[in-house]
Amino acid sequence: MKTIYIMQKEIRESVLTPKGFLWYILTSIILSVLSYLFLTNSELSLLDQGQMLYMIMNFVTALGILIGLIFGADAFAGEIERGTLESLLLSPVNKTEVAMGKLGAALINWGIIFAISLPYLFVVCKGGQNLLFGIVYLAILGTLLTITFSAFSMGLSARIKSMKNSLIISFFIFLLAGSPIFLSAALRGTWFGRILDLINPFADAINTFDSVVIDNQGFGYQTGRVAIICGYTLLSLWFLKRSVSRLEM
Amino acid sequence: MKKSSLLLSIIFMAIIVNYTPASAASRIAVTINPPSIQANMGDTITYTGTITNSSDVEVSNIIAYISLANITQGKESPMDLEDWSANKAVKIETIPPHGTYEGKWPMRLIDSGSYVAYITVVDKNDNTPVSSMMSRLEIQRILRLNPHNVLPIAIGEPILIGLIFAAIALRRRKGIV
Repeated sequence: MKTIYIMQKEIRESVLTPKGFLWYILTSIILSVLSYLFLTNSELSLLDQGQMLYMIMNFVTALGILIGLIFGADAFAGEIERGTLESLLLSPVNKTEVAMGKLGAALINWGIIFAISLPYLFVVCKGGQNLLFGIVYLAILGTLLTITFSAFSMGLSARIKSMKNSLIISFFIFLLAGSPIFLSAALRGTWFGRILDLINPFADAINTFDSVVIDNQGFGYQTGRVAIICGYTLLSLWFLKRSVSRLEM
Repeated sequence: MKKSSLLLSIIFMAIIVNYTPASAASRIAVTINPPSIQANMGDTITYTGTITNSSDVEVSNIIAYISLANITQGKESPMDLEDWSANKAVKIETIPPHGTYEGKWPMRLIDSGSYVAYITVVDKNDNTPVSSMMSRLEIQRILRLNPHNVLPIAIGEPILIGLIFAAIALRRRKGIV
């Protein structure tokens, strides 16, 4: 109950604000530009719908992770810098409940981004294959990755207690996780690239999207990658719990 | 003189005996249909290649593939058919004596311009590939302003979110939320 109260407070302060809405408007504008580009550009318009769906799914997942990391970086270090953490810790809510409330708000934020992306996914993949499977996998893996990266970033924020440093480290982690987007298929095909792909939860997610949406492969093919992502989620939650339990003013 | 004539005759005979004519050219013929196409970007067309074995012996293990060259002024270059065609080459096991093989090459028209398409047949027992006549391909550019009816979503959704934000901001200002 207290967790829900903290979550509502976070949503009021972070989501239902001009800043929060600006994120959603920008998300929507970027998705509009991408969808229009995919569908009208001379060569890209002839991409398979599965390919376009896959690219939009990757983008939405990356955006969810990025905003989750920013939420996480702000969670405790931001409260410290604004001078509001003391009053929060003095309230009859334990630290874990505070952390879970903030994580819940990050998840609500991901849910809104996911909802914003749905019309684009439908319009890009109109009449195409695997749309519903793609949406289900995006919802599940996007949620797991948001929990993973937000929880890790929150834990970091609680330990470092500096918004700027938390943000910088979170941003580097985002770049590291997003490396499959920057690396060519040939580089990712080497033994080292494959290991990196396997241990990188974001790469596991986009490889799963590829497998489901483009290669029409069933859940049996995805279990290993989904299990790795679940493992990271549990590890991040444990890291958050430990970091928050040591949090002091 | 006689010796020279004899030597030349021997060399000439040796050349004739060892000379293998461009037998593929005589054994295999290939045609491409249709001879010209006018289509729009995004259309899918199909070329038909007919490979005829006009000899009395069977030909086997031959490869036939389609090529496309851009002949648009200023853009002259051979095309990489990666995005255009999924099956660029076919391997033909055998064509019986005086028999024919008909292959289909579906192609998705990716970009506008003037092109020529031709089919080449390669026989590994021969040094000379055989090519068809060139089929001219004219692809018209199409301006798609609203593909998949994307515009209502692409324009409408950011506006809708902006309106929701404005409504919430207004209610807050009035102290309702």
